[in-house]
Amino acid sequence: MSRAVPLFRMEGVSKRYGGVRALDGAELTVNAGQIHGILGENGAGKSTLIKIMSGVVEPDAGRMMLDGKEISFASPAAANDAGIVCVFQELSLIPHLSVADNIVISNPPKRFGMIDRRKQRAIAKEALARAGAADIHPQALVKDLPLSRRQMVEIAKALARKPRILILDEATSALTASDVSKVFSVLKRLREEGLALLYISHRMHEIAELADMCTVFRNGSNVASFATGTKSGNEIVEMMIGREYSNVFPAKTPPVLSEKPPVVECRHLAWTDQLRDISFSVRAGEVIGLGGLDGQGQRELLLALFGVLRGVSGQVLIEGQPVGIGSPRQAKRGEIGMALIPEDRKTEGLLLPMSVRDNLSFAALDRVSRGGIIDGTAEKSHIDEMIRLLAIKTAGTDIPAGALSGGNQQKIVIAKWLMNRPRIILLNDPTRGIDVGTKQEIYQLLRKLADEGAAIVFYSTDYDELIGCCDRVLVMYDGGIHRELAGEEITEHALIASALNVEEASVDRTRVAGA
Amino acid sequence: MSEISSSGRQRSNRQALWRRIDPAVATAFGCIVLLLLVGSIYSPNFLHLDYLLLQLKVASFLGVIATGAMLVILLGQIDLSSPWTITTGAMMACAAAAYGPVGVALAIPFGILCGVAIGIVNGIGVAYLRIPAMIVTLATNAVAQGLMVVYTGGFSPQDEATEAMRYIATGFLIPGVPNAVLVWAVVGAGAVFLLTRTTFGRAVYGIGNSERAAYLSGIDTRHILVIAFAIAGGLAAFGGVLLAGYSSKAAQSMGDVYLLPAIAAVVLGGTSILGGRGSYLGTVAGAILITLLQSILSVMQIPEAGRQVIYGVVIVIMLLLYGRAPASR
Repeated sequence: MSRAVPLFRMEGVSKRYGGVRALDGAELTVNAGQIHGILGENGAGKSTLIKIMSGVVEPDAGRMMLDGKEISFASPAAANDAGIVCVFQELSLIPHLSVADNIVISNPPKRFGMIDRRKQRAIAKEALARAGAADIHPQALVKDLPLSRRQMVEIAKALARKPRILILDEATSALTASDVSKVFSVLKRLREEGLALLYISHRMHEIAELADMCTVFRNGSNVASFATGTKSGNEIVEMMIGREYSNVFPAKTPPVLSEKPPVVECRHLAWTDQLRDISFSVRAGEVIGLGGLDGQGQRELLLALFGVLRGVSGQVLIEGQPVGIGSPRQAKRGEIGMALIPEDRKTEGLLLPMSVRDNLSFAALDRVSRGGIIDGTAEKSHIDEMIRLLAIKTAGTDIPAGALSGGNQQKIVIAKWLMNRPRIILLNDPTRGIDVGTKQEIYQLLRKLADEGAAIVFYSTDYDELIGCCDRVLVMYDGGIHRELAGEEITEHALIASALNVEEASVDRTRVAGA
Repeated sequence: MSEISSSGRQRSNRQALWRRIDPAVATAFGCIVLLLLVGSIYSPNFLHLDYLLLQLKVASFLGVIATGAMLVILLGQIDLSSPWTITTGAMMACAAAAYGPVGVALAIPFGILCGVAIGIVNGIGVAYLRIPAMIVTLATNAVAQGLMVVYTGGFSPQDEATEAMRYIATGFLIPGVPNAVLVWAVVGAGAVFLLTRTTFGRAVYGIGNSERAAYLSGIDTRHILVIAFAIAGGLAAFGGVLLAGYSSKAAQSMGDVYLLPAIAAVVLGGTSILGGRGSYLGTVAGAILITLLQSILSVMQIPEAGRQVIYGVVIVIMLLLYGRAPASR
């Protein structure tokens, strides 16, 4: 670096969440008057990096320096005071308060111990003007503003705290194109004013337009930092992948062509603005992956199929017959036979304080009861079968499910649905936060179930899994199916390129050049 | 370790036995013994069989009402409509008695049915209209009160309890054992069966722990909520019928003194006020404990106001003790 003392520097910063290493010896240097782009796949450690910088979580190891002096933050407020302010991806505004109230929420101006409303309005007005959103009235209620305007308020709120380093985490994902260009000019002006900006985005062309420097993260550490324009889009994608495959996946069974209608087919599914015109079909024995960046509608698609969402338009056909699925209760019934392994096993999949037995039979109570009365013997034999099938390690069926390890808890979530003998299995990121051994067992189980004739739809944030497990992958972008990859086409490169909405052939042309 | 060895099974059985003895239930029973000992200092009568049976009989009314309250609390909800559901049950049963022999025969079921109706309204409000249970049940309580005041004109109703009502509340089918205690035993056995042996019971515990997980597991959560509130309403009204039989007639506000004790009995028995955890044995202990506490406070000649203060304080203390238990135990 040309400057002797960078504005901010972190060295060897590590953070573990349980057994998962989110950040491992990460380094980052941020200079004043620069926009620094951060790139990386889902789970590469970007979010953890930001959380550590802005004082939300404390690192396990490593040090951070501001102006060459070592610092640590006990809370987000401490980071704010030091001049590091973050604009979070999730909107942090309180809908029923006014724009001005929200902007000064953490530190309102006071007069005689009460909030000085006039001064508050002035501060809000100034911040909004700096954020290039002078048209928003400070007294307007946040809930009355459209989403893109709220994001502008969010930026104004950050600016009102007089930051030296401003972190923007996917700050443009909710914005309209005209707002994006407005935000960009604001950000460029802030750069001229000498602020350091950290810009995290999945949209490569935005990074290309804005950033002076880029740092690529992979598996919790930084792999490369370079000046924008020195690397091609293709090279950057390669850097983001960079992993070796390990042979943990079972062999795929070639799909059998049959005349039978697909087990499940959906036509033109749509839901609010989060799902757009989704059509696809799954045959018996197929494992279909849902790919794409986090939050492009994959979860909503699974929930829509399972009858959880209200107001879904479009058609779902089971073995060629149109059906209406209005609730999970209908979805799991014999003639449909659907199962959903939900995203969060602790709140959606399991009843943690209840026993392993109660959890295992909970979704299949109809199978182990007669006239509403549970048949203890039948229940026990079903449960024992599942414990054997999935090799669940438990000290007994009477202990609470919460006492088991994460991997075994996830096995229980899967087992409780297998007890229902589903024909269609939807999985929402089933391997998140569990150990490698259990992951392998789950991959093998999925393939086995498919070979036995189940139709499987599998959302994963881990590209390796999609490549290793799936016969076809539907890459989603902004609520629609952007691309379908099958067989040999499923490569990490293709997955990332289509997830980022970059045409694969044109990746080379989209040189990351300075704006 | 997919197969549990026989020694392991023995060990897990022993652990299961230990786990089954809920510390909260044990504490509640311990407190009962303690109260009896303290009471016997004031009056040696406290340890006489007659006195104990009388207390058990008084506890039966509370026990029946608390059974319904427990079901709702297990779901993570609350039923504040019990005071006037009790009164409605009592008044309507007595009112039916005025309509000739058919009315007399149907007095008890009619009273219960009125409570079930109130419960169904509560359940629909909570499950389908998504109004917080606290609001809905307070509102139905007020409505029930209004309807009863209109019906009676605000005076003590003149209708008398039927023979059958008096018999189940005060009679002796088995010599020495009051019928009210038998009634509670039957209601309790039903509750235990419902909670431990049926899909409904599993669903109740499941919803209490995580309504979202239960819904995603294909449980018809709204249906279960309505049924549970209906049963709670029915049991509160049945409690009212028993009370009317006990004192031969219904009275204005006769249910008011049962709201706090019913909830307290459930919570003192170790049922989590947040739902999902608790056993019926605990509620039995809680109901007896509350009844003994009341009895001792009156023997010690503490006025009604003091008693209310002590209930409140005891509930807060117990909640503090139980509320700190780790969530995943």
